[in-house]
Amino acid sequence: MLDFFQTLSDGVLFGATYALIGIGFTLVFGVMHKINMAYAAASVGGAYAGLLVLKVMAGAPAWLVFLGAFVAGGLLGWMVYVACFHFIPLSSPLATLMSTVGMLLLIDEVIVHVTAGMPQGYPAMFDDVMLRAGEFSMRGDLLLVFGVSVLAMVGLLLLLYRTRLGLATRAVSQQPVAAQLCGIRLVRVNALTFVVTGLLGGLAGALIGASVGTLSPLLTVPLTVKGLIVTVIGGLGSIPGAIVAGLLVGGFENVLQLYRGVTERDLYVMLLLFAFLVFRPGGIFTAKGGRD
Amino acid sequence: MKTLALAVSLALAAGVAHAQTIKIAGFGAKSGVVRSFGINSEAAMLAAADNINKSGGVKLADGSKAKIEVEFLDDRCDAAEGISVIRRIAGTNAVVAVGPTCSNVAEPLFGILQKKVGDAGDSGLQMPVFTDVAIKVGLAKISEWAFRNVPNEMTMYNSLFYWLHTRHPELKSVYGGVEEDFAHSRATWYVVMKPRAEASGFDVVGNTKWLLADTNFATQVREMKKANADIVAVSAHPFSTCGVLKEMQRQGVKPKLLVGLTSSSSLETLQGCAKQAEGIIIPTSFAPINKEAIFAAKTTAKFKGAADLHSMAAWENMFILKNVMESEGLSGKPGDLQSDRRKIRDGLAKLKTTNGLIGVTKRDAEGEADKPYVFVHAKKGEWKVLHNPL
Repeated sequence: MLDFFQTLSDGVLFGATYALIGIGFTLVFGVMHKINMAYAAASVGGAYAGLLVLKVMAGAPAWLVFLGAFVAGGLLGWMVYVACFHFIPLSSPLATLMSTVGMLLLIDEVIVHVTAGMPQGYPAMFDDVMLRAGEFSMRGDLLLVFGVSVLAMVGLLLLLYRTRLGLATRAVSQQPVAAQLCGIRLVRVNALTFVVTGLLGGLAGALIGASVGTLSPLLTVPLTVKGLIVTVIGGLGSIPGAIVAGLLVGGFENVLQLYRGVTERDLYVMLLLFAFLVFRPGGIFTAKGGRD
Repeated sequence: MKTLALAVSLALAAGVAHAQTIKIAGFGAKSGVVRSFGINSEAAMLAAADNINKSGGVKLADGSKAKIEVEFLDDRCDAAEGISVIRRIAGTNAVVAVGPTCSNVAEPLFGILQKKVGDAGDSGLQMPVFTDVAIKVGLAKISEWAFRNVPNEMTMYNSLFYWLHTRHPELKSVYGGVEEDFAHSRATWYVVMKPRAEASGFDVVGNTKWLLADTNFATQVREMKKANADIVAVSAHPFSTCGVLKEMQRQGVKPKLLVGLTSSSSLETLQGCAKQAEGIIIPTSFAPINKEAIFAAKTTAKFKGAADLHSMAAWENMFILKNVMESEGLSGKPGDLQSDRRKIRDGLAKLKTTNGLIGVTKRDAEGEADKPYVFVHAKKGEWKVLHNPL
């Protein structure tokens, strides 16, 4: 029984990394009704850029590297918007989807070329902290990631519901034409959305690199897949849904791995996604939908 | 008139000099999960070609010299892509192909080559393939057009576990960590490490599994902790090896000895987790233990590659091929492409020994190599030779 609770706890905490990525995907969808497939890759790219802090200042503390990743993520987010959305007709869903897939591959290749495919050690905070209660333990760095996810959720909800930018963002997501007629600049709102998600993405990438201990271009595709799964299960456009779904997916996959082995683990995660798509296609935090 | 004649003869000479190139195609994973292997192999091939060309090039049958031209293609560590790539290479003027990186590519790829040379009923590809990296046991025997210059892991791990058992008689048990979704790492644990450890007198108390791109190893390391073995053998590539080692550090799992996979005796491991990998012992067919090895490593670095047992096999391949081309008398003429390929194949098949960077490599009738090896361990961010059985 202890094994089960320990495994569940490890998985749920690790699921916080999925939640951070899921938040980014779901926020862009919530505003623009578009999927940004390059989000996870940009997050990892932001994390790599954060390592430049160590080039400038050897031995810099981890929080400074995270700050660098935060800023770099915002910049990358803006670049993704300009390259993949600004000049592409938003009325064509496939065009923006494919452009972001192309951007994902581009970012991946740039990382490989700059680093020659070598993994890079990533500084961490609280990685040597293990909270123990007898045989039960919890990683301090993953508790940090969980805390950041919750703070990110609260921060984003405050931004959306307590600020003019948030008001404009919600207006654009509901009625873009009417929002423009009210004087809201669509381009500015969309660009800022990408910058905000990019800032979060850079931080998410840094925290994920820190929790894994190593940053590698290998992370981009698996994080993209997990992020999409979490976004769909949580409900497209729902920030709290992304958090809950991230923790759910993390816990679920770890427990299934314990009982069914690593070779079957991903199969059950996909079955979980399938079950949601069939029985609750709107995700956890939307109203139950009927079938067509 | 004299000026015109001089100009015409110079132009002809230039034309002839330009035509004297022999193309060697390399192929391997330059994208995907093990892209660093392909990047390093390409760098080593380019470095070797540059070195050969600076020394005058390859001597052809007619006594003239030809420069070596290298073109490297990406097979993405994917079997279908690898087969497509080798077919593409066969359609060019490349006389031989060096690759692939991945054993899951090599096995089906060798399967599309002609099985027996001269079998008119077999329409398989007649293209010599000289592998530098793909290391899964016993693949070259699939086709007589396939040759490998890869270390024999069975021999190396047999020697390693025997040496460990002799040197550390107090160590009794071994626990395995297996990267389950990669042909090389999986086969090396189940077919090589586990049986060789048992044959050397160790008690293999179990193993745990993960996937190549996994990022969470908490459950697996807990299983490892429970087993409490003296030696933990990690049959995994650098990314997941580092992930596991870091998790072991977090959970306080400290076996008396760590053994790693051949492919992890690389710069990648040290860059990812030098501190956690401290002391890990790996058998390898390359270490910079002499002038030639150091020179090869430094030259490859100029072409932005890292020297390890895999990339240095690519370097060795180039010089082996140069010697074969000269001994078999390559024509180098476009019309003799297929006969040149056959000559290279026959030349490789005749070889009994070749000169490797750290010693003489024996070759067997199946096209496999028995390479010299040393045991290295990670010490303060570098791979140092722990024991040299040579």
